[in-house]
Amino acid sequence: MKKTWLIIAREFTERARKKSFIITTLLMPLFMIGLMIAPSLMMLYGGSELRQIIVVDKSGMIQGKLPSSDEVLFVDQPTLTKEEACQTYNAESGIFGILYISEEIEQRGGVQLITNSPSSPMLEELITSEIEAIVEREKLRSRYDIDNLDEMLADVATPIELQTYENNGTGNEEEMESVSSGINYALGLILGMLLYMIIILYGQMVLTSVVEEKASRVIDVMVTSCSPFQLMMGKILGIAAVALTQIAIWAILIMAASKFLIPTLFTADVVATNDVMLQAIVGTLGDTGYMATLFVYLTLFILGGFLLYASLYAAAGSAVDSVQDGQQFNTIIMMPIILALIVMMSVFNDANSPIAFWASMIPFTSPVVMIARIPFGIPTWEIITSIVVLYATFIFTTWLSAKIYRIGIFMHGKRPSWRELGEWLRMK
Amino acid sequence: MDNILSIQNVTKSYTGHKALDNVSLEVPRGSVYGLLGPNGAGKTTLIRVINRITIADSGSVILDGHQITSDDIFHIGYMPEERGLYKKMRVGEQAMFFARLKGLDAREAERRLRSWFERLGIADWWSRKVEDLSKGMAQKVQFISTVVHEPKLLIFDEPFSGFDPINANVLKEEILGLRDRGATIIFSTHNMASVEEICDHITLINKSRNILSGSVEQIRREAGGNTFELTYRSDYDTFTSAIGNLAEIIGESRGVVGGYTATKIHIANDSDIREVIRRINESCELRSLSEMMPSMNDIFIRAVNGTL
Repeated sequence: MKKTWLIIAREFTERARKKSFIITTLLMPLFMIGLMIAPSLMMLYGGSELRQIIVVDKSGMIQGKLPSSDEVLFVDQPTLTKEEACQTYNAESGIFGILYISEEIEQRGGVQLITNSPSSPMLEELITSEIEAIVEREKLRSRYDIDNLDEMLADVATPIELQTYENNGTGNEEEMESVSSGINYALGLILGMLLYMIIILYGQMVLTSVVEEKASRVIDVMVTSCSPFQLMMGKILGIAAVALTQIAIWAILIMAASKFLIPTLFTADVVATNDVMLQAIVGTLGDTGYMATLFVYLTLFILGGFLLYASLYAAAGSAVDSVQDGQQFNTIIMMPIILALIVMMSVFNDANSPIAFWASMIPFTSPVVMIARIPFGIPTWEIITSIVVLYATFIFTTWLSAKIYRIGIFMHGKRPSWRELGEWLRMK
Repeated sequence: MDNILSIQNVTKSYTGHKALDNVSLEVPRGSVYGLLGPNGAGKTTLIRVINRITIADSGSVILDGHQITSDDIFHIGYMPEERGLYKKMRVGEQAMFFARLKGLDAREAERRLRSWFERLGIADWWSRKVEDLSKGMAQKVQFISTVVHEPKLLIFDEPFSGFDPINANVLKEEILGLRDRGATIIFSTHNMASVEEICDHITLINKSRNILSGSVEQIRREAGGNTFELTYRSDYDTFTSAIGNLAEIIGESRGVVGGYTATKIHIANDSDIREVIRRINESCELRSLSEMMPSMNDIFIRAVNGTL
């Protein structure tokens, strides 16, 4: 046991004092925050270039009514024909495109967008909905003879705010937990991605490290002082300690922010904004107890998931002579975890679907899928069952991997076949 | 005789082939014991069985009078032929790590290591990175890591390969010094010159079997008597047909000096040297002939070829 500790300590210090470790540990939270706000930033600044669209309206219904914005400028040219417009406002003109509206607006092809540079779904959506609204109002006005239609519509416009609660059997909103599926989605996505990244990055670190130890023949010296099993476990646990240290640092940073920064900085302003989403974000992040629970689960699933995959990576590393040779095994090991990522995406539609349930029970996909489901509120027994199955499987795969490892580390030359690996398993 | 290590009928099979086939040998306490054999003969497997890296299929390994256990590896120091250190670690840290794995506490490990570093002239390298070491210096670090816990049995696999003559000599002196202080040394090598110089007992392993065991002196005496060095004037074919199957030429011809060819022959056990001389005289001019004690190299080659 003392030897395993020495090996764990060596593996840990070698990595944890590297500059790259310190830098990634500090930069990762910034990267994550960037990932969260990137979509809104892109929406803000992504379409900053003004697109000019020439509107050739032959119906007379639309012209002058399409609202221009910072991003799109509609210019009416009703006298031109479609062909003339296309000739004049070609690719060299700097004009984005021509919106052609025929007299028969409701027919197929009645509205055409002819562009000089690639269009986007958002722009097409915008144009479609604007034209639909205009035509709808025009019909209301003409068929039902309503004069002050715009005023009436403005008068009856009603924004609705949906509040979602978790049912605790009382029906009293003071006691029920308010939930925001947007926040759950974001949290689930971040946690799932984090788990995926940590398992892959640190798992491959195990593979690389075993291969290097074998190729540099340090392993020949090591095995005279400790058993192959101690060596393998020391390495896996040492690298796990590095991963956990990283998580712990993040946890401390986020908890500190949750406890001290968020309450002082935002609360007053946020309440004033009346923005439900923003309030939910601050509410969740500011709930220190909830964040702590999440980190406990995160740690358990990261550790379990890492240990499970690391044992497979260690066996793969022991069987090959170079990292390149290890690629084939690497690909196979990565498959279930990529599958987990795909299943995770479906979790966001229905966190309690059968596929989400089973994928969070099967150990090879469970860490990523379960951690993504947890923010949606999963019964505790499901989480505990998943953890127990995960750790039991880890013990089994470690036992299996150790059998391959103890033989593999002394085998040099060509990569073993699956049949040979099977023989190693049976060797005394 | 007092044996520190006794290997009894050890057999080890890997898929498809036997790496060790019923090997037995006795290593006397305080000896320098040569473990010889061609590449792939089974030496490394035997060493791994002694080190408990691999477990034998059958047979037993007795260290100091008892069946060897995993606790005994503290009493064994092993320097493998392929030497490896963690490149990214500092030299001192690396040595400390190995010493502590062998069971020394931190303070004792550092005290002993510092004195070894001083002794081998690498004290300045304590805080340098391993990857900055030259090959020879890295091997010194490896050597120190092997002996620092003062084991009673030391196993060196090709210890001199890669050393320049000066450092090889330093290493040899240190190894003999360890022997004088009570350690038993096992050498695995195919460098026969070093065997003659420092080994007092040997075992020769070929094709997974122990084919020759004993003290170097005794083996040379027994193998001698039938080997002769001679010079003759004639062409090679005439000479070989003259000796026919009475004797065989050992190794390379030693070259021609002044028209005379020098060579070594080994005569078959049932032939008479006078008959050999008569046959050579018939077709060649025999200039000189003297009996010689066989070198370990000759013994090695003959034993492996089955003509000893």
